[in-house]
Amino acid sequence: MMKLEKYLEILPKSLWVTTCNSGSCNGCDIEIVATISPRYDIERLGMKLVGTPRHADVLIVTGPVTKYMTNRLRRIYNQMPDPKAVVAVGNCGASGDVFYKSYNLDGPIDRIIPVDVYVHGCPPRPEAIIEGVAKAVLKLERLREDLKKAGEQQS
Amino acid sequence: MWGKVYTGFGYWDASAWILFFFIAAFFTLWLRSQGRSDYKKGTDQDEIYWSGNEVPEDGEDITVPASSAYWGFRKALEPFYKGLLGMHTGIATDIVGYYVIAVAFLAVFILLV
Repeated sequence: MMKLEKYLEILPKSLWVTTCNSGSCNGCDIEIVATISPRYDIERLGMKLVGTPRHADVLIVTGPVTKYMTNRLRRIYNQMPDPKAVVAVGNCGASGDVFYKSYNLDGPIDRIIPVDVYVHGCPPRPEAIIEGVAKAVLKLERLREDLKKAGEQQS
Repeated sequence: MWGKVYTGFGYWDASAWILFFFIAAFFTLWLRSQGRSDYKKGTDQDEIYWSGNEVPEDGEDITVPASSAYWGFRKALEPFYKGLLGMHTGIATDIVGYYVIAVAFLAVFILLV
C-alpha cells in the first residue's frame, strides 16, 4: 500500500485496468476499446487502461485460455500487486462457450486464476463491461479493508 | 572555476546547475519514497513484465531486430554486397591499393577529359 493511501478512506486512486487476451477472437477486445473511446469514455468514471499488470488493480481477461496462453495468463496475474481483482469478459472466458470441448483449451479462465466478476455476452456491450469493472471496485474495497486489518494485527 | 560561462544563448553557471541537480534529486527521491513498497519480494511481483513471457536470458531470442525491416533490400542487393565483401580483406595495403588505383583512374579521366 502506498504511504498516502493509509490516510484515505476510499480507493486512493483511479482504477487502473490491464487486459489480457487469452485466445479471444478479438470481439471482446474491440468492445473494451469501445469503452475507452469517446462514446463511453471510462476515464470520466476514473478508470484507466495501463500497459503493464505491475501497475494494475484489475485484470480484464478475454478468451477461453488456449494452452499457449495458460502460463502467460498465470504469470500476468501473479505480477499484479495486491489487492487485485479479475474480470472475465465474454462467454468464452466464463465457460469456453462454443469452444468448450476444444482440444487446445486449458480454460475457461477460472480454471487458471480466480475470477471475481463474470461479464457475459458475445461480445458483451461496453455498458456491461463498465458495470463489471464497477463491481470489481466493490471487491477491491473489501480486499483493501482485509489487508488493512491484517497489517494492523501484525503491527 | 565557478564563474559564469557566457555563450551566444546566455550563460552557464556551474553552481546553479549543481544546486538544481540537488533539488531535482531530492524531489525524485521523495517521489520514489512515496511509491509502493509492499511488493512480495522474490515472487513474480518482483519480476520484469515481458508481455507475460518468462524474462529471457538474451532479449534477442524473442525480439525482432530493426535490421529485419531491410531484409528485402539486403536480399535484392545480395550479389552487390557479396562482391564488396569479397574485396574487403581487411588488410590495409589492399585498401591503399584500391585508393591508388581509384586516384590513378580519376587522374587519367581528368587529364583526358
